[in-house]
Amino acid sequence: MKKWFRKENLEYILSLFIAIAASLAIGALIMLANGRSPILGYSALIKGAFGSKYNLATTLAKTVPLVLTGLATAISFRSGIFNIGGEGQLYLGAFAAAYIGFTFTALPKGMGILLAIIAGGIIGAAYAFIPALLKVKYKIDEVITTIMFNSVAVLLTDYLVNYPFASSRGKMGGTEMVAEQFRFARLVKLSTLNTSIFLMGIIAIFIYYLMEKTSHGYDFKMVGQNSLFSRYGGIKDKKQMIIAMLISGALCGIAGAFEVYGVHYRFLQNISPGYAFDGMLVALIVKNNPIGVILMSIFFGGLKTGSIAMENATSIPSELVLVIQSIIILFIAGEAGFKRIYKDLTMKRKLKKEGGTK
Amino acid sequence: MIKELFNLTLIQHTIRTATPLILAALGGLLTMHAGILNIGMEGMILLGAFFGVVGSYFFGSSLGGVLLAVLVGMAVGLLFGFFVIELKSDEFIIGIAINIFAGGLTIFLLRSIFGVKGAFSSPDIIPLPKLNFPLLDNIKILDVIFNNHSIFVYISWILVVLTYIFLYKTPYGIWLRASGEYPEALETVGVSSKKMKYFSSIMCGILCGFAGAHLSLGYLTLFTENMSANRGFIAVAAIIFGASNPVKTFLAALMFGFFDALGIRMQVMGIPSQFTQMIPYLVTVIALFIVTKNQLRKIKKKREGAK
Repeated sequence: MKKWFRKENLEYILSLFIAIAASLAIGALIMLANGRSPILGYSALIKGAFGSKYNLATTLAKTVPLVLTGLATAISFRSGIFNIGGEGQLYLGAFAAAYIGFTFTALPKGMGILLAIIAGGIIGAAYAFIPALLKVKYKIDEVITTIMFNSVAVLLTDYLVNYPFASSRGKMGGTEMVAEQFRFARLVKLSTLNTSIFLMGIIAIFIYYLMEKTSHGYDFKMVGQNSLFSRYGGIKDKKQMIIAMLISGALCGIAGAFEVYGVHYRFLQNISPGYAFDGMLVALIVKNNPIGVILMSIFFGGLKTGSIAMENATSIPSELVLVIQSIIILFIAGEAGFKRIYKDLTMKRKLKKEGGTK
Repeated sequence: MIKELFNLTLIQHTIRTATPLILAALGGLLTMHAGILNIGMEGMILLGAFFGVVGSYFFGSSLGGVLLAVLVGMAVGLLFGFFVIELKSDEFIIGIAINIFAGGLTIFLLRSIFGVKGAFSSPDIIPLPKLNFPLLDNIKILDVIFNNHSIFVYISWILVVLTYIFLYKTPYGIWLRASGEYPEALETVGVSSKKMKYFSSIMCGILCGFAGAHLSLGYLTLFTENMSANRGFIAVAAIIFGASNPVKTFLAALMFGFFDALGIRMQVMGIPSQFTQMIPYLVTVIALFIVTKNQLRKIKKKREGAK
């Protein structure tokens, strides 16, 4: 616990707050430029995100896929392999999980859910394995392959739900519903918050221990140490990269399974509005720290939920939060550089002063 | 059936779909020579497409659209350069950040400027002019292949030649390449490698602006969310495939364009569109596989030869 209070960590937390404050300030300027009051906008946003039991539940429900995909990103980036394919792994995992739920409908409750989660995890991991193998064996840039694989997975599942597995009734672009006994119970009326959040908690604790407390985690760090926030450099161990990528893919697949069994009860063609990309953003902002991922996911979930209330209050499009989020990441990515420039400036000023007194 | 698939229209489509890839890849190979891998081209193209539509709509001319797209491209190129060169941030993280920023900003502006979600099209968006060489009218093959293209098709070809001459025949090109490979050597001659890197980054922004404008103003005049559809990444693959050489990269981009066009043609044959749309993405992965495998083999041979 002590290392949390080390100088560089405190410094980082300070710069994180400055980055968020600056991004929110830019958001405020955009509101002002549109002739709206930022105070009104932001207070509506906060109220909309955390103001009532229902709002808080909606925020937490949005947090679930962000935490899982965020941890997936963190574990892969720390090992020096960049899994940008979370979205594709999520889609395939979600479909595999849904397949279990509408095919083996006679299974007892616990068995069905367990099987579905395992199926989602395995398919997600398998889909992440291909680019991982191409990376370590043939040195093919995993960033490009995983991005290409995202599009392929989305198109493939799009085909599956529209042709061989199209629902016989109801809307287009969805599979049959999964059996009723498998579904995660809802926790708060009207909100989609469900019991999968507890499972997410268990998984998060497990990943935290894996990344921070075990010798295995130490390996992950060793592999990606120098590249904590940079892509190149650092020793890169092939086996570690593959393991990290498998875990990463499994987490994304499980995130997909949770969406199916907790929210939609079926696989839908556009089941994820880019959860894995948001998760990646979250992990990048907190420099792949697992606890940071959870806190930042709640913040992002709050921004998403609250943005609707903000839109109602000020008629500023809710998409403003997308701009705010991406500005945060720009500031954080430039953090080290900004700090250096700041130090240079203060040093110069000091030198000038000292030179003047002499 | 094969006749239906492989006809002159296919070549015409290839040229059309390859053009944004060629333009973006030319920009990306400039930064590549300066030692920067630009993953942010995807976002740069998207911004170009959006501001191309904005400019064309509000200025009432396609030139206005292109100018605005270029202006925004320059600004994003400068931003990218500032973070990567000045702040020494990780070029990959900044690239991703720019992609996410572009996605968010265009969705936000689409709603706040035009009040729509998803897509915007209007008869007030003026398309780019199409060129026609009456000389070729009488020869059917040449007429179909080379006529009636949007102006950026021809510009992209000229730019391939210009980029080649620039890189290999002018001192600036040599400086640019040196800024990536031997920055210290360049400094000793008194040329700032920083400046060359900035130049490549801004040029890349401009070329991606062209690519975006071609997408949104070239044939269909509309903007849709994420309309760059991973073209920025396919352009990166074309650069890798073409070993950062303008002519080879041009050929690689044509190949990716061909498979894209082939996919569109295959829909005519009743193959579900989901599969035909996958083709360019799968081809990209396969192409990377082939090219890196060859490189590895060459390295191996060299090592054995050295023994």
